[in-house]
Amino acid sequence: MSSISLADQLEDALTIMIAEPNSAPPKVDLPIGDLLKIATELLVLPDPRFKAALKANLLGHDLAVPISRGNRPWVENWGGPIVDMPTAGILPTLVGTGDGGYPVQRSNFAISLALHVAMIMLIVAGLGIGKGTRLAPHTQSVLLSELVAPVLPAAPDRSGGGGGGGDDDKMAASRGAAPRFAREQISPPAIVVRNEHPNLAAEPTLVGPPSLPPLSQVGNPFASILLPSNGTGIGGGIGSGSGGGVGSGSGPGFGPGQGGGTGGGTYRVGGGVSAPKAIYAPDPEYSDEARRAKYQGSVLLWLIVGADGRPRDIRVARSLGMGLDEKAIEAVRLWRFEPSLLDGRPVAVQVNVEVSFQLY
Amino acid sequence: MKALESKKGEQLQVEAAQTDPARFAELYENNFDRVYAYIARRVRSREEAEDLTADVFREALAGLSRFEWRGLPFASWLLKIAANLLSDRWRQAVRRQEVGTDELDQIGVNEKVEQQALLWQLVETLPADQQRVIRLRFVDQKSLRETAIELGRSEGAVKQLQLRALENLRERIGRNHV
Repeated sequence: MSSISLADQLEDALTIMIAEPNSAPPKVDLPIGDLLKIATELLVLPDPRFKAALKANLLGHDLAVPISRGNRPWVENWGGPIVDMPTAGILPTLVGTGDGGYPVQRSNFAISLALHVAMIMLIVAGLGIGKGTRLAPHTQSVLLSELVAPVLPAAPDRSGGGGGGGDDDKMAASRGAAPRFAREQISPPAIVVRNEHPNLAAEPTLVGPPSLPPLSQVGNPFASILLPSNGTGIGGGIGSGSGGGVGSGSGPGFGPGQGGGTGGGTYRVGGGVSAPKAIYAPDPEYSDEARRAKYQGSVLLWLIVGADGRPRDIRVARSLGMGLDEKAIEAVRLWRFEPSLLDGRPVAVQVNVEVSFQLY
Repeated sequence: MKALESKKGEQLQVEAAQTDPARFAELYENNFDRVYAYIARRVRSREEAEDLTADVFREALAGLSRFEWRGLPFASWLLKIAANLLSDRWRQAVRRQEVGTDELDQIGVNEKVEQQALLWQLVETLPADQQRVIRLRFVDQKSLRETAIELGRSEGAVKQLQLRALENLRERIGRNHV
């Protein structure tokens, strides 16, 4: 077969293929059969202009070309590629074709962006300066055990005192005030006087320093019963103890201790009682009200550190106000202590905590 | 050994492009035909193929920093992107029946894609007039008459020219054992 007839046959087949690309390949003679196979592959030969334009677009060499899906300007004028730019409608002067009569001006966008960034940085910096001049709240808490109990020299014996009494009554002791203290006790206090005509009348007293304030009405200050009773204790006096005093202790003093004077209850630091150590002491927060008012000062708290190392019975010994008392209590309530020891045994003690609130 | 060197070279190209996006050009040139061939076999029109090819390379360039070299050809990653885009497109167009699921799974560089990509590269080795007639007839899909006018030749001369072009391609394909 001549090349002319081959060329004609090929052209006829190609015309059909191009016109109907999805139809079955036309039947042709064997010599051009494999050429048509190649032609079939060439039907999807990529457009070199598209390839070049896409490359330019990807590498940023051709950013100004109008671009939208379906628009193929390079087919006519070797222009830009297809790249979906959904933001073209949003920023037409940056990535689109321009807005109306305004052409694409990327430099304007860059300048605007730079100005905005600078403004934002200035604002942020300004806030930073303001923040730097603001007074920052500082709080500090100090455990002051010596305030409630001046440090006493260590003594081999337990400090404190107390007393107790009663005359084996069925009722607990009546409520009232303890009698005055005296160096010596001649007559123990009694609410119910069993011997109304003694041979030698003497004022009932408790043994203790005379400087302790005298009390007006005789009785046990901690009692709740108003009916007259000396209490269930023994040996005279008032209360449930023994020894002619008032209270649950033993001896002629007042309180649950022994040996005269006052005592019992919680211990105070000193005299063999070690000071508690704060092992967890978070500082309090400043109250908003005090911060706004730039209010400073310190709150003195009184509290008991229990044998378990936990604070309890927290009270304000010196108030500061503006919500700072509450903040101080709130924080100190969270404190934990290594408890005070007496003879190696943990005991409850009274302490003070001073909480300072300062702005600087 | 050559394959290993080629892989190493491609890895270096990827790393270079990750550092400097301008170096993406080499990866683009090396893989454009593969990606286009993979897509063109699965879509109906040239426009769709071009749209998706552009999308593939755009996504690839945007996500190049996340690409981790695991020994597979870079083309595999590109074809995976292409498969995902095709899948999305078919899902949108509800035209799943056009392409079997197995074709979607064939993400790797397969022989047909390689053959087609090589054929297109061989077109560029043809003499200029033969390249031109191929592009006018197959890319621009101009008629014989239009092509003749464009080339300033007779219709008969164009027929002979396109015959020689295809015969040359057949010969070159044979030499390359495609």
